[in-house]
Amino acid sequence: MDNTDESLIAAYCQGDKTAFGEIVRRYADSMLGFLTRMSRDREEAQDLFQETFKRVHEKAHTFGGSTFKNWLFAIATNVAIDGLRRRKRLRLVSLNQPVDCPGSDEEFGATIAADNQCDPYQEAIKAEQAEKVRHAIALLPARQRATLILAYYQQLSYQQVADVLGCSIGTVRTQMFRALRKLADRLPDIGQGVE
Amino acid sequence: MKGHLTKGQLIQYQFKLVSDSYLEEIAGHLAACAECRRNLEQLRHKFAALDLLREDVTASQDLISQVIEQAAEKPHVKRGAKYLEAVQTWFRKSAWIASAAAVFLVGVLFLAAYLSRHAPERPTDLVEKEIAPAVVIERKVPVTEEPAVLVAKPSEPGGYLAGLGGSVAHEAVMSEDAPFAPASAIELVTLPRRDNVQITIYNSADLTLARERRNLTLKKGWNWLQFMWANTLIDPTSLSLEPLQEADKIDVQQLVFPARLRELGRWLIRSDVSGRVPFEITYFTSGLSWRAFYMGTLSGDEKTMRLDGYVRVGNNSGEDYENAQTRLIVGKVHLLDQIAELAKRPYPYGMPMPLGGLHGYTSGGFGGMRGAAITNGDAMNRNGYILFWGEVREGLRRKEIRKEGLSEYFLYTIEGTETIPDKWGKRLLSFEAKDIPIKSLYKYDEERWGEQTIRFVSFSNDKKHNLGDTPIPNGTVKIYSQADEQGYLSYVGGTDIKYIPLDEEVELNLGPARLVSVEPILMDFKTDNYVFDGKKNIAGWDEVRTWKIEVTNTRTLPIEIEITRGFQTAYWTLQLDDKNISYEKYDAAHARFKLTLEPRGKRAFEYMVTTYHGTREEVMAKR
Repeated sequence: MDNTDESLIAAYCQGDKTAFGEIVRRYADSMLGFLTRMSRDREEAQDLFQETFKRVHEKAHTFGGSTFKNWLFAIATNVAIDGLRRRKRLRLVSLNQPVDCPGSDEEFGATIAADNQCDPYQEAIKAEQAEKVRHAIALLPARQRATLILAYYQQLSYQQVADVLGCSIGTVRTQMFRALRKLADRLPDIGQGVE
Repeated sequence: MKGHLTKGQLIQYQFKLVSDSYLEEIAGHLAACAECRRNLEQLRHKFAALDLLREDVTASQDLISQVIEQAAEKPHVKRGAKYLEAVQTWFRKSAWIASAAAVFLVGVLFLAAYLSRHAPERPTDLVEKEIAPAVVIERKVPVTEEPAVLVAKPSEPGGYLAGLGGSVAHEAVMSEDAPFAPASAIELVTLPRRDNVQITIYNSADLTLARERRNLTLKKGWNWLQFMWANTLIDPTSLSLEPLQEADKIDVQQLVFPARLRELGRWLIRSDVSGRVPFEITYFTSGLSWRAFYMGTLSGDEKTMRLDGYVRVGNNSGEDYENAQTRLIVGKVHLLDQIAELAKRPYPYGMPMPLGGLHGYTSGGFGGMRGAAITNGDAMNRNGYILFWGEVREGLRRKEIRKEGLSEYFLYTIEGTETIPDKWGKRLLSFEAKDIPIKSLYKYDEERWGEQTIRFVSFSNDKKHNLGDTPIPNGTVKIYSQADEQGYLSYVGGTDIKYIPLDEEVELNLGPARLVSVEPILMDFKTDNYVFDGKKNIAGWDEVRTWKIEVTNTRTLPIEIEITRGFQTAYWTLQLDDKNISYEKYDAAHARFKLTLEPRGKRAFEYMVTTYHGTREEVMAKR
């Protein structure tokens, strides 16, 4: 039984409906992680997650490249960047959470997590610093952010990132360099307060 | 390279954003320039903040199901529709000719339908190969005797493994020769999620034995299994893999550590069976620790104490251990190497060389980052926290810690399982003992503690004291007393205790007691009994001192106190006129007085001590 990504997508194109489920399960965690970091908002990330796999479902027949993972992340990156643009235009306001509390969902989770810690003070500082990092990454332009997240958090090689973003490896390095230059000034100093 | 490296150059070096030759040039400069090295360290430290967002995210089953259901509702677009879609897009952009193109569109639709029936529907690099009775799809790769590489399915606990990059055909004919390790560029070569894990923590040596059970799906023939330990403190030299079933048909032949690939190993498994087989993986890791601490609460009359023992298990190993059966070892083990050092070696059997940089950036791109083998399946995100908190609440029921003797060690087993994520700690109740009879004693010894009185509480680790089931591991004890009738507690003092074997008495030093004071006053001093030698020089003499000791108890409870007095010589005699007070010779140069005081009482007594010096010591010795 051959269960590579490529064989699964081929099987799906041939009508094997279970293959799509297999693909979704296989990439669900890493894809949601990528989209969460790209969007800063869990609910939006889930929307983007659905949109990404919807496009995979719709465009499965167009896959002809050598690496499914790169193809998938290329779709996800486009979906995320489109989503970011749309959000800029619409400035969505959630009815489920206060407008003045961006990321309060995360803070809630962090609070619950912190309750389990032996040192709530340290955890609170850590959560605050993590929020600053999120903010610093969110300020990056979309392409730079995508490059950083793919390379750093998704651990793709620069060549893979180039394949995903459809550009040269030199462009990836440039984007990465620019992102890191900005982050070097914006990231919080974690020297104090965190073990 | 002139001058110091700029921040930009350091970033380029750290993240390998420039050519190898330029990297080497920068590395050469760094080797010679301490300031630039310092700047690089600061930069690495700065970028370490990025790791705060390195939490793993887990997609909920609901979300996954939703996506799959949506796809099922709307059949995916076939190849022929691609052309239709392109045409439709073009027409949308050119609405003014839409009406004119409508007729043409009908023709195109016919064409598209024709193409969808006749054009190949699979990507061009896939070929169809018939192997009776089934038809399988395989990649266009040369048919070789290469083994299957096991691929994890991280989203399902205990997920299955499947072959990748190998030929289906090789199932039929299995080569007897072990294949060469596959190339490094292989996707998704990870272990499936563990089914259960047992960790045994040897605290004294920063050593933990982990035993994991995972279900691997093997193919008949040669199988490769990849194990990654990036960013963990796992000792790769200790890795072991054993099948728990079909052991006679499965042969774990070798564990190889591919060149240029750090922090991963690949097992070569030869299997005569295909299907799911449970395996046990064992290894040593570092970074897990536990420590015991105790809380004692004195009763109102301070004659008994309640003692609660706790164990705090901490995890800094870099690995999350979910639902782990946790066992704690008291006792020392002898190690040839420190596990943490072994874990940091770039190559498992290579020269020990600490990894520099930020979590393995040096291992090429970001390949050295925390590996999927470790994080997949063990992912814990914010959502995961919520789930985990649910588990925590469910697990708030106190768990027992079972204890048993192991020759020179003592083993504590925590009841049930515990989830101990990386960087987390968890406190567990170890034992509760009520109404332990205690002895409260105050001590005054100027030579040891200066002019303050120290409070002690003592008891024995035996059945008489409602203890004695197990030895008590070393740890920190904090003692509280009941401050009022409502049961509010006040802190009395704390201390560290050493390991207390069974039937052994322990005395807890609770620190200075401010409500009990001892004041020695020198009332008289004289010398006497001078002895002269032949040259009329002084050869011996006696010194006679009279001391008055005043003891004040401002507590509302009676107290017992020991007062130790030192004389700087072994030749002394002591005269005590107060018959209500006794003393004993504690050692050659010390006497110890014992007395009790009533609540808010005060007592004073005098003693005269004569010390003998020079030739007078002989006189004293003859007595």
